[in-house]
Amino acid sequence: MTAISLSGIEKSFGATSVLNGIDLDITDGEFLTLVGPSGCGKSTLLRILAGLEAPTSGTVAIGGIAVNDMRPARRNLAMVFQSYALYPHLSVAQNMMTPLKLRDLPLAGRLPVLGPLIARTRYRAIIEQVRDTAQILKIDHLLDRKPGQLSGGQRQRAALGRAMVRKPVAFLMDEPLSNLDASLRIHMRSELAELHRALKTTFIYVTHDQAEALTMSDRMAVMMDGQILQLGAPDEIYNDPRELRVAEFVGAPKINLLPGSVDKEGHARCLDLPLSRVTTDAPAGPVRIGLRPEHLSLCDKDVSESFSGQVVHKENLGADIYLHVAIMNASQRLVVRVSPVEGRTVSFGQTVHVSRERGQAMVFGNDGRRLDLSRSLAEDVAEVA
Amino acid sequence: MQSTKAHWWFVGPALFLMVVILLMPITIAGALSFTNYSLGNPGADFVGLDNYEKIFTRSTYEKMFGATFRYVFVVVPLSVGLGLGAALLINSTRRFGDLYKTIYFLPVMAALIAMAIVWEFAFHPTIGIVNSTLERGCGSFLETWHWYAKGCERGFPLWLTDRDYAIWTVAFIGIWQGFGFNMVLYLAGLTSVPRELYHAAEMDGAETAWDRFRLVTWPMLGPTTVFVVTISFIRSFQVFDTVEAFYPQGGGPSKSVYVMMFAIYEKAIQQNLMGIGAAITVVFLAFVMFLTLAQRWLVEKRVHYT
Repeated sequence: MTAISLSGIEKSFGATSVLNGIDLDITDGEFLTLVGPSGCGKSTLLRILAGLEAPTSGTVAIGGIAVNDMRPARRNLAMVFQSYALYPHLSVAQNMMTPLKLRDLPLAGRLPVLGPLIARTRYRAIIEQVRDTAQILKIDHLLDRKPGQLSGGQRQRAALGRAMVRKPVAFLMDEPLSNLDASLRIHMRSELAELHRALKTTFIYVTHDQAEALTMSDRMAVMMDGQILQLGAPDEIYNDPRELRVAEFVGAPKINLLPGSVDKEGHARCLDLPLSRVTTDAPAGPVRIGLRPEHLSLCDKDVSESFSGQVVHKENLGADIYLHVAIMNASQRLVVRVSPVEGRTVSFGQTVHVSRERGQAMVFGNDGRRLDLSRSLAEDVAEVA
Repeated sequence: MQSTKAHWWFVGPALFLMVVILLMPITIAGALSFTNYSLGNPGADFVGLDNYEKIFTRSTYEKMFGATFRYVFVVVPLSVGLGLGAALLINSTRRFGDLYKTIYFLPVMAALIAMAIVWEFAFHPTIGIVNSTLERGCGSFLETWHWYAKGCERGFPLWLTDRDYAIWTVAFIGIWQGFGFNMVLYLAGLTSVPRELYHAAEMDGAETAWDRFRLVTWPMLGPTTVFVVTISFIRSFQVFDTVEAFYPQGGGPSKSVYVMMFAIYEKAIQQNLMGIGAAITVVFLAFVMFLTLAQRWLVEKRVHYT
């Protein structure tokens, strides 16, 4: 079932166009991530969905009903902001009560002192709800504190609590983890994913961090320049990017891109090494060949089809070591993932030989589009070379 | 550790200036308030609490307190309220915001003593624009208002010289003059309210402008409000130039506009009664001090959230 659908969304601020025709259907209960570099329009898209910004054209529909003219307050969405946007003068409990009070209490019940007396039973229900939510998020001991007295992670939870306390159609999250330190961010990633599994509500999550998108989402939409370049499961986006820009954006360290060419028969060559697969649908000409660092490995000098170059930089991440190897007279740089055992013996300036894992190279045409390769002629290639 | 005298050189200049231009004059005023000193006299007699006794018993000073408090408690709430209202309105318009700001701020910049002359004309019983405008309304539905009908019949009040109206008229001019200043302070305060809080309020279901004001604007303006209210109190306690311009002969009809600043001026400067002038000054300082401290204790704690 489609919970939310965006069709033909365009947005421009004056002459600057921010979103160019976004179509997106979000299924009920899925965790969808909008990911892209800053300025790609992902936050604007989320704010259009929330109703905080009006699209220049296009339709936003929630549960099959167009909500373009509906106030944000009526759309029944909950949002977690990057700055958390907690009310600094209210305690955590009062912060979490606010959405319930504003929605469920009549005007008289919201009076400062008399309110709790007038609508006593509803008040009790609200407090109960707040306490339950706080327990889920493990912030029940912080309910009486003001946001200013909380740490970043606790504020994050309080903001989540304020969003969770009523049952919204979907949670919208605008880079909620970007203000946390690295270890807490990684911890919250798994917690958010667990929370999503427990709540079974739609999550729409905006981030510029491809790692967050890859780890948490059911589907991710890679956005750039106001367009969705590719939409799919994280696996698919990583292993099968349809565009050069997607391949470059997703994956850390970045994919290695080498110049190559395709000849008339469709044989692609990377530098002067032929690939074992051929393309069927591309004209002959220069192409770009993408090789992920994990598909490269060190080899002996005499292995055929290897690159050789000098190690110019070594990144030790503990479990992996990334070697930066300058090849082709230092005109190109390759990042190679090696295991710590292999990497330990390698030193700067040393000449190493790198071979690729067969069948993993991605070929991108001149226009940035991915060219499909087929294996059918795999055996012939060696002879051609 | 070797002890040096460097710290005295750091705090010395500030301390010296504070003592010379702040603490010493106050101490001297305090000391003078226990004497019957007059400028030019070789000496003065110690009179104990006589001066203070006069202030709290004589009917002139009773009128002084009456006029001062009437003025203060009308001008402060209204100029703060109007300042906030104007700031919210200007903040919400996209066009002409700067123009409105300038217009409302003009009275603050204009010299009040000059403006007082304009107001004196406006309130003049026969040639003034105020009463002639009011007279035009006679015969219309406005006469259903009892006060208005009476005005049409027997003439509208002499705003500045009727003792029932004088202090309120002066207070009105005080509001007119002061609210622009508060507006500018509130405008500055409004720019520091994070926009995301309004968005959060909207997402939380605050549909009406009043809800958003209650939930975000008013609490976030708390520190500004404390400052604005304190400043307004001090400024309206210090009102002097309108009174001096309208009533140079002393305190208006039946001394109904005999505010404290004017009393100090009249006693100490015009009549050269330094002792009593100093005593009023001390009382005045005590009021301002008390109000400022009360503000801090009562409100400050609750408006700074971090």
